[in-house]
Amino acid sequence: MSLEVPDTTETDEVPERTPDELAALLGDLVIDRDDHLNAPGFVIRPDAVQETLSRLKQEAGYDHLSLVTAQEYENRYESIYHLKKFDDPTQEVSVVVPADKDRPVSESGEAVFRTADWHEREAYDLIGIEYDDHPDLRRILLPETWQGHPLSMDYDKDRPQIATLPEHANPLADHHRDAESDTMFLNIGPHHPATHGVLHLKTILDGEQVIDVEPDIGYLHRCEEQMAQSGTYRHQIMPYPDRWDYISAGLLNEWAYARAAEDLADIDVPEYAQVIRTMGAEMCRIAAHMLALATFALDVNGDFTATFMYAINDRERVQDLLEDLTGQRLMFNYFRLGGVVWDLPEPREEFFSKTRDFLDQLPGSVEEYHDLVTANEIFQMRTIDTGILPPAVAKDYGATGPVARGSGIDYDLRRDDPYGYYDELDWDVVTEDGCDNYSRLLVRMREVEESAKIIEQCVDLLEDWPEDERTIQANVPRTLRPDDDTEIYRAVEAAKGELGIYMRADGTDKPARFKIRSPCFSNLQTLPEMANGEYIPDVIAALGSLDIVLGEVDR
Amino acid sequence: MIGLMKSMATTMKHALDGSTFTVEYPEDAPDVSPRFRGVHKFSQERCIWCRQCENVCPNDTIQIVQDDQRNGEQYNLHIGQCIYCRLCEEVCPVDAILLTQNFEFTADSKDEFVYNKEQLKNVPWYKGIDPLESRNPDRGAWIGEGDGEVDYQ
Amino acid sequence: MGTVQLFPEFVSETLGLSGVLGDVVGSLVAAAVVGNIVLAFTGVAGPWAKRKITAAFTDRIAVDRIGPFGLLIIPAAAVQLLAKELIVPEGVDRPTWDLAPLVLPASALLGFSVIPMGRLGPVNLQIADPEVGLALVFAFASIASISLVMAGYASNNKYSMLGGLRAVAQNLAYEIPLIVTAMSVVIFAGTLQTSGIVAAQSDVLFSVGGFDVPTWYAFVNPFAFVLFLTANMAEIGRNPFDIPEAPTEIVAGYQTEYSSAYFVLFYLGEFVHIFLGGAILAVTFLGGASGPGPESIGFIWFVVKLWGFFLFTQWARSALPRVRIDQLIEIGWKGMLVLSFANLVLTAVIVGVIA
Repeated sequence: MSLEVPDTTETDEVPERTPDELAALLGDLVIDRDDHLNAPGFVIRPDAVQETLSRLKQEAGYDHLSLVTAQEYENRYESIYHLKKFDDPTQEVSVVVPADKDRPVSESGEAVFRTADWHEREAYDLIGIEYDDHPDLRRILLPETWQGHPLSMDYDKDRPQIATLPEHANPLADHHRDAESDTMFLNIGPHHPATHGVLHLKTILDGEQVIDVEPDIGYLHRCEEQMAQSGTYRHQIMPYPDRWDYISAGLLNEWAYARAAEDLADIDVPEYAQVIRTMGAEMCRIAAHMLALATFALDVNGDFTATFMYAINDRERVQDLLEDLTGQRLMFNYFRLGGVVWDLPEPREEFFSKTRDFLDQLPGSVEEYHDLVTANEIFQMRTIDTGILPPAVAKDYGATGPVARGSGIDYDLRRDDPYGYYDELDWDVVTEDGCDNYSRLLVRMREVEESAKIIEQCVDLLEDWPEDERTIQANVPRTLRPDDDTEIYRAVEAAKGELGIYMRADGTDKPARFKIRSPCFSNLQTLPEMANGEYIPDVIAALGSLDIVLGEVDR
Repeated sequence: MIGLMKSMATTMKHALDGSTFTVEYPEDAPDVSPRFRGVHKFSQERCIWCRQCENVCPNDTIQIVQDDQRNGEQYNLHIGQCIYCRLCEEVCPVDAILLTQNFEFTADSKDEFVYNKEQLKNVPWYKGIDPLESRNPDRGAWIGEGDGEVDYQ
Repeated sequence: MGTVQLFPEFVSETLGLSGVLGDVVGSLVAAAVVGNIVLAFTGVAGPWAKRKITAAFTDRIAVDRIGPFGLLIIPAAAVQLLAKELIVPEGVDRPTWDLAPLVLPASALLGFSVIPMGRLGPVNLQIADPEVGLALVFAFASIASISLVMAGYASNNKYSMLGGLRAVAQNLAYEIPLIVTAMSVVIFAGTLQTSGIVAAQSDVLFSVGGFDVPTWYAFVNPFAFVLFLTANMAEIGRNPFDIPEAPTEIVAGYQTEYSSAYFVLFYLGEFVHIFLGGAILAVTFLGGASGPGPESIGFIWFVVKLWGFFLFTQWARSALPRVRIDQLIEIGWKGMLVLSFANLVLTAVIVGVIA
């Protein structure tokens, strides 16, 4: 990485290049400019994707391929590579790759960023763009027998999806039996106690050792992007983010949509609402991390472990608070564009004292978890130095959240790309350098303590907030129609990592393209890196430490 | 070994303190927060058949049938399909539709979850709580002057 | 020890029978009584006690609706389990597949035949008392691993096979330390006869404030006790050594494909094995049926010790993580085996020097 252009705009001294400098760097690869609200966008030649990405990565330091969005226009197909820097995620650039309407082919970016593998497979699956040089261009969310690409314009949704019998023939029936080989193919899932939902792991075993594991996803695909595209910005999209990562991380997800849509429609959020949002979001984070701890204990300890129930109890306590605040325990629908739907519940003092009670007992609980889990020698034996994810690999796969922070990558959008009220509060980003299952768990446990710190400061602020300044919603028109052809990509730090939303407006009250960057999707992709060569129990532990929610992976 | 002992001691402590977190559900019904969103209650007397709830509903749960004079004839709500987002209550200008705290409903088939206006009217309050007071919906943002184009539908 | 009347002899004497007929009837009745006692324990433990104990550890209530303390869940669960459809998967290797669930409980029940369960009134609840009692118990108990392999191999399921193989590896690794540690007890007691081992533990080790601490081998050699306890947990496949089942890894291991009555038999067999493990532990280290009070309530003390061990397995299950298969083997061969031989040699030297 060359650091020849010193820049003074950022405190953490990552040089930022102006769009013109980037254009100069890319030279004749660029055929046009297509700036997005969040980043400069360069339209490049469809056969120069690898060259462009690798120049941006090697020479300009854009080392994080956050998302690949694909979409179809009237006259072309388009893939957008949203690039960021792990050191400073506010520095973004979009690489727009057009593809021919009749023969939508562009070069794959997989050789530069491993994470492009799954993202491009999804684009191929749902939109129909084909990627040259892609190592394994298959459908990823839909069944392999699916006819057509559902998000393309000419998709015939009335066409029957009937797969003929030969396609259902058992692929293992004869020719896969091989007297010579010592390996065994094992399907873990889609119905298995430890896959945290309907996930299918195709594993190849040599005895108990895993030689290869390939996650097969899509069992819980619910067309969330398409549903969002058929809902209005103002109201109808907000209930759905709760259902992506449904493990009580709802407010964090809602914030992802709220942030993107508010920036798209240029809506300001009152400070008071931001404080409430911050508090609610951190409550959700505690609830989500408690479940992550609980299920990880389940995976490692066995299915009658007490840790599971204790962590669930603590999660219940947060959910009670969230229920008081939002009116629901999981599917909150609490945020609105421009604020939140309700002020704190009356009587306010009762809510504050309940919250403080929870915060007071939390350190004791965390202490208990350390006794039960992290201090336990058998647990340490099981988790330390298993499921290793080196930082360079994690970055290559676009891993974020506790998974990245457990590999020592100091990356947290709450601090690095501040939103809400986070930059006014005093808290720390937690990282661990172990790169193993243990570190990832430890990061979550320590993040719970940081979240408690944030909530406490929010409660202090809210208590002293002057009564006549408690504005919970900005004045937002009843129907939002952002300008035609404005595009935005915005991300927030959800429980599992970077949850981003890309939206393209077409002048109507509904988004023309709504793309979700799911942190679990990218994190799950790292599983083979962690699991290959380990034992079956370590695969399960590694999967547990990734803390995936299939609802978010498959969307 | 010390870690193992600690783990064992922690669980034993929980076993011996005798407290339980779970409750015996039907006898010991949980406290539901005043804002909780459960099954809808509909009041035909209040309803002005403006169809805003039908319009805002994100997944077409509400179906309204009017005659040619735009008088309301049917008000059907599929409580099994509903996602309990409360947008219908939020847009209703006359509080004709409300989400009670009632979360206990059963049926033998999906069809039985399609409630007509009579069934919706008869949905009981949970523990006799009328949620409207505690919720205190703030409609300021709805009827205020927007900066840009304001659409009152 | 011919002085103590065994249970079958008591039965035939009470019925006034003698000769071969007396032996046969006495043995059958005694076996039926002991077998039913053990099965009754299992019946209480499986559907009820296990739930209640787990619930206590996890701050829950558990079954309490049917009958007092929910005890009637036991017949309800029995009916429910037996009424389920027995699903025979395609490609299973019969009759091995059918025999496996019978072998497991049978092996465990056979083990009880030589366990001195103490006196209840005039009755001495021990069916047989051969010279090689302890060796016989271990022999019976280790038949269980054959059952697990049978189930694993015959099920035509990869998870079952992994479970079955894990069971063999585990039993091999832990049976040797288990028996070697038990040998140190035999050196102390000078006999393999179970009643003799119990009798050897009836002296007073020392007195603390008027309370006599008996020469239970758990007190005499606590190190061997811990070793034996650990190996015993692995032998019966309980946490942290429940890897032949390991539900979060290999679904349910060897019993993945079993349902209905066959599943009940496996479940039953596992619980009888826990109790047999407790019984062996009680006999070798906890003074068998001895305890305060008259000898005629010894059986009650024995039952207390059995349930104490059962409670301990459940306690460990709620608190301890499961070790990985390679770690398990490593602990077995590199740790337990070495320690158990060290213990054996040390015991032999000490006993040789003192005696």
